[in-house]
Amino acid sequence: MARLPALFPKRVSDDYLHTVSLMGTFVTIHVVGRGADPQQATHREEAAGRAFGWFRRIEECCTRFEPQSELMRLTAQVGVPVPVSAVLYEAVQFALAVAEESDGAFDPTVGHAMETRGFNREYSTGRTVRTDLEPGGSVSYRDVRLDPARKTIALLRPLVLDLGAVAKGLAIDLAARELQPFGNFAIDAGGDLYLGGCGPSGEPWSIGIRHPRRDNELIDSLRVSNRAVCTSGDYEKQAPGGDHGHHILDPRTGVSARSVASVTVVAPTAMLADALATAAFVLGPAEGIRLFERLGVEGLIVSPALEQYATRGIHGAC
Amino acid sequence: MSKETLFSLTIILTIVGISVTAGHPEWGVFTGAAILLLAAGTAAGAVKARSQYENRIVERPAAGQKISSSLVTLSSAAIFAVYAAGYHRTGSAADKFAAQDARRRTAAAIVAGAVTPQAALPQIAATPAVRPSSTPLAPPRKARPRVSSGEAPRVAQAPAEDSPAAPSAPPDATPPGAPAIEAAAPQPQPPVRYKDGTYLGWGRSRHGDIQASVVIEAGRIVSSAIVQCLTRYSCSWIASRVKGVGYYNLPEEVVARQSANVDYVSGATESSDAFYGAITSALSQASE
Repeated sequence: MARLPALFPKRVSDDYLHTVSLMGTFVTIHVVGRGADPQQATHREEAAGRAFGWFRRIEECCTRFEPQSELMRLTAQVGVPVPVSAVLYEAVQFALAVAEESDGAFDPTVGHAMETRGFNREYSTGRTVRTDLEPGGSVSYRDVRLDPARKTIALLRPLVLDLGAVAKGLAIDLAARELQPFGNFAIDAGGDLYLGGCGPSGEPWSIGIRHPRRDNELIDSLRVSNRAVCTSGDYEKQAPGGDHGHHILDPRTGVSARSVASVTVVAPTAMLADALATAAFVLGPAEGIRLFERLGVEGLIVSPALEQYATRGIHGAC
Repeated sequence: MSKETLFSLTIILTIVGISVTAGHPEWGVFTGAAILLLAAGTAAGAVKARSQYENRIVERPAAGQKISSSLVTLSSAAIFAVYAAGYHRTGSAADKFAAQDARRRTAAAIVAGAVTPQAALPQIAATPAVRPSSTPLAPPRKARPRVSSGEAPRVAQAPAEDSPAAPSAPPDATPPGAPAIEAAAPQPQPPVRYKDGTYLGWGRSRHGDIQASVVIEAGRIVSSAIVQCLTRYSCSWIASRVKGVGYYNLPEEVVARQSANVDYVSGATESSDAFYGAITSALSQASE
């Protein structure tokens, strides 16, 4: 088809483009151009190697699917301050800040509720996990205490932290930091993106937003530069058992949030974008958009009836 | 008293104060200063009244900007903290378990490499090779090792290339190559060996099932591909999606759609999840 070359006239063969399977999804790193210089090519390969390395590192630390991960070892100790690594401390601290800001609509303590709802399968091995917790009633983010001086985390009650959204965002942001010297690059972790500089065309990256009901269509597209774009949809990771529950639970009720089909957030960091997408999913369209406007980020929310709600600056985010 | 009245009063008092001070030097110093002080007090009242008024109007955005910047700052600070701590310190607690975890991590790395259909992908995190941009799509109907895929184990076995002391690291790389240490860790001794052969597995998605194959030679994964798709979409279309390569190698049917006009798509694809599941299933048969 003659359109293809015309669509990507400036696409050059010296782009660095690589895809690896990590964190239960596919991670693509794309650095635009300048690869013809052998030294530059070496530099960016090394940087991309470190970027992929961060994904692996964060996954090891923050997964709740591996009993020996630092996160799950923390879960095993209730009531005592546990010294943790910088990765875990920062991820939990940020998750708690978003929980506070969203008044509990985002809550990292939903881990056990997710296990009970069937989100307990490790994607790389298919193994299921089950954390035995003493029944202690409902838990919330207020049951987690941080000590900034000693970098310790104390769980006041038995609970399982789910850092899914924040951890993936953190990995994307760290990868972006590794690639910053190259200016124009893209990181795609299963549809959660960070776009640095400009795309191959020399203009800000053109980003499609997946249609929540039609897998091969877009519902909108944006021009983005130096921003993260994260989308949460009810089409992701359906719960086994056939009740069509999806992976975002309302922490306040313990069941899948239903008033939203997908949420897209454009923010300076992927951590923030991913966490706010989850929060808005629970809050619903009206409150979600209010949250975005209050926080100064851009967002698009699509309802199950395909009504679209967007912040005013969604198309001018770059 | 309204803010307009307060402002008018401020201006009048200021003029009177200045003229008294300038025009009557003999008694004007104290009186003028007193009048000016009064003017300043009135001005402060006016400003306060004004800010309260504004707060009522723009309360949400004003508060929001503050919160926003704090959340953005917090996320940036978190990224910096983790980045600066680098690999040595972030790994502190987890490293104690490194010995027990070695097998698992290596297995994960190999699985990771296997799932990507491109050549030279196992443990690519440590030694990424420049992927040929013209890599063809995965063959939709048959699974055979790609010509270049045989290189995968060899590339993965080259730990020297990801030396953490690489002098060419970008200037702001605080711990040069730090995460690469971790990525490289499983490489020197690949303990998980799969049984040689070609294995098939199914992955499920809402749109139907995907079958994938994995080829194991000498205990290592040399290639993987989509075999068949019982979905609404063709194998070649799904192959283009699971490759996650920015939609540059799209078949014609997709070029005709608007998604071909964008560089990347935000929102996870079910087809890639299904492919991941299929590979996992295939590898479980290859394991001992």
